[in-house]
Amino acid sequence: MTEAPAIALRVVGATRRFGATLALGGVDLDVRKGEMLTLLGPSGSGKTTLLKVIAGFEMPDEGEVFLAGRNVTLAPPARRDVGMVFQNYALFPHMTVAQNIAFPLEMRKVPRAERDRRVADALALVDLPAHGGRLPRELSGGQQQRVALARAVVFGPSLLLLDEPFGALDRKLREQMQLEVRRLQRRLELTAVFVTHDQEEALILSDRIAVMEAGRLSQLGSPQEIYRRPANRFVADFIGESNLFRARVVAGGYAELESGLRIPLPDGAPGPGSDIGLLLRPERPKRAADGNALFDGRIVEIVYLGETVKYRIEDAGGVQLIVRWPYAGREPPLAHGDALRVGWDRDDLHWIPWT
Amino acid sequence: MKPAASPGGWWRRHRDNATSLLAATPAMLFLAVLYFLPMVLLFAQSLPNGSLVHYEKALTDGLYVRVLLDTLLVAAYVTAACLLLGYPVAYFLARAQRTWLAVGMIFVLLPFWTSVLVRTYGWMVILGRNGILNRALLQGGIIDTPLPLMNNTAGVVIGMAHVLLPYMIFPLYAVMKRIDGGLMQAAEGMGASGWQVFRRIYFPLTLPGVLAGVTLVYVLSIGFFITPALLGGGKVPMIGVLIEQQVHTFLNWGFAAALSAVLLAATLAVYALMRVVLRGNMRWT
Repeated sequence: MTEAPAIALRVVGATRRFGATLALGGVDLDVRKGEMLTLLGPSGSGKTTLLKVIAGFEMPDEGEVFLAGRNVTLAPPARRDVGMVFQNYALFPHMTVAQNIAFPLEMRKVPRAERDRRVADALALVDLPAHGGRLPRELSGGQQQRVALARAVVFGPSLLLLDEPFGALDRKLREQMQLEVRRLQRRLELTAVFVTHDQEEALILSDRIAVMEAGRLSQLGSPQEIYRRPANRFVADFIGESNLFRARVVAGGYAELESGLRIPLPDGAPGPGSDIGLLLRPERPKRAADGNALFDGRIVEIVYLGETVKYRIEDAGGVQLIVRWPYAGREPPLAHGDALRVGWDRDDLHWIPWT
Repeated sequence: MKPAASPGGWWRRHRDNATSLLAATPAMLFLAVLYFLPMVLLFAQSLPNGSLVHYEKALTDGLYVRVLLDTLLVAAYVTAACLLLGYPVAYFLARAQRTWLAVGMIFVLLPFWTSVLVRTYGWMVILGRNGILNRALLQGGIIDTPLPLMNNTAGVVIGMAHVLLPYMIFPLYAVMKRIDGGLMQAAEGMGASGWQVFRRIYFPLTLPGVLAGVTLVYVLSIGFFITPALLGGGKVPMIGVLIEQQVHTFLNWGFAAALSAVLLAATLAVYALMRVVLRGNMRWT
């Protein structure tokens, strides 16, 4: 047996109410040392409240927070040794970049000479070595973001928190910054908790993803697990695009849709009579010859996405299936109304309880 | 190649400016005729036949110089009092929720809507030798003899600070309202204590409001007339009182005009000085 990974952050039964609304409903979460864990969820799912509870800006009504084994539930933010990158960066507008980065060191009474050295190191780390004398408003959005990052890590925090830090950047810059943050986090072996509502961002950045819904953890797992084997309808809907069919298990290893369409079940499916959801990612189905086809329909919608094309197919029973295939432009294009037969492996399907 | 200037190009480029200028014209005419023109005429009176006699008297006669300096000093007291009293009030208002904001605003605005004369007489009732305050203190056994709160600098400062407080509170409030609360949270998260957050982050960010409020109150204080006249009881001669005296009692319009010009120059000088002093701290604005 391998040794259990060290836990950098442990949240136990965190509960927070705002009046009658339950923002956090007893969340348990362990974050391993050196991992990047993403709190993913729609707005109002409690992800930001959880982050604030971890940072100490919000006190949980119930539950506890442990940082490196130390109970910090009642500790003020200043005593938590946590670095944070805020949504709008929260750079101090009246201080230069260097003064901004030096601020947490100053508060920790780091001597002047060492402070200067560490600020210079941090500036080099985020690739802004010559920008120390500038004011925040003289920097671009991406540069401001890097300063915020440098300021959050300069004092060597035991935990880095990132609150939707890429929201204000345009798409191209966002992707670049995501990878940069990830590289930095790996290089400094930082434990990081990252909040986002963008599932694509979560898949790119995380070691593990905690999907949140209505103040609770809906699923916790690696990006692959979350994408391939969502635990419930909420996660299946929220992560990526999917075909989700409601079906009832019938005898002989099949599930039957309301339209009467029968689909062979994947392994491990429950017994006959159970209501389940069948999940099929759009990239899984392949064009099939007559005999092997599991779904036989006509194209009702075509969306050109550049490297892939998305087709919506509808069968005689009115069931719709979305497929997405790479398209290099060599084969003759499919058109509206064309007949299309597709099939898939049994293992491409993933079943979830229908609740 | 430059595109040829199209006809009407000038108008298109300057349309917005021209329109707003048009809209401002009535007010500018009003100010020009009823404010700027009289000021020029007054200034002309201070130079009878181009002679500088009035200015010579104003700037060399010990009495007038002392009164001018006293005026600047009293204005400084008033400004300091307004800043010390107004800053916490503005802070409270900037953070207050709806009900408290409404209540607070009414408390600030109600006196603001009341005539200065009425408020000054009100203070006379409170601060007089036989006033409400002294009687209460005497009856409470806190003092043996009435405190001299009127007909001296203290009374003038109290009365003026009361009148001018809103002019300090509003600019401060406006600036504080715009400060991103996340900055304070961020500082706190980086290990700053409450005092450090205030001193290093919050206060520097309110400096534009401080400058605006201080300038407004100081400039208004220098020219104040009613309150020093009534609460000073003639013992706190401020330059405004002196000017009035020259006009009404001595009918010496020329000298009054010269004093006014000196007052205006002093006001502008003080404003320029404050800008210079605070400029280093406000590079970011």
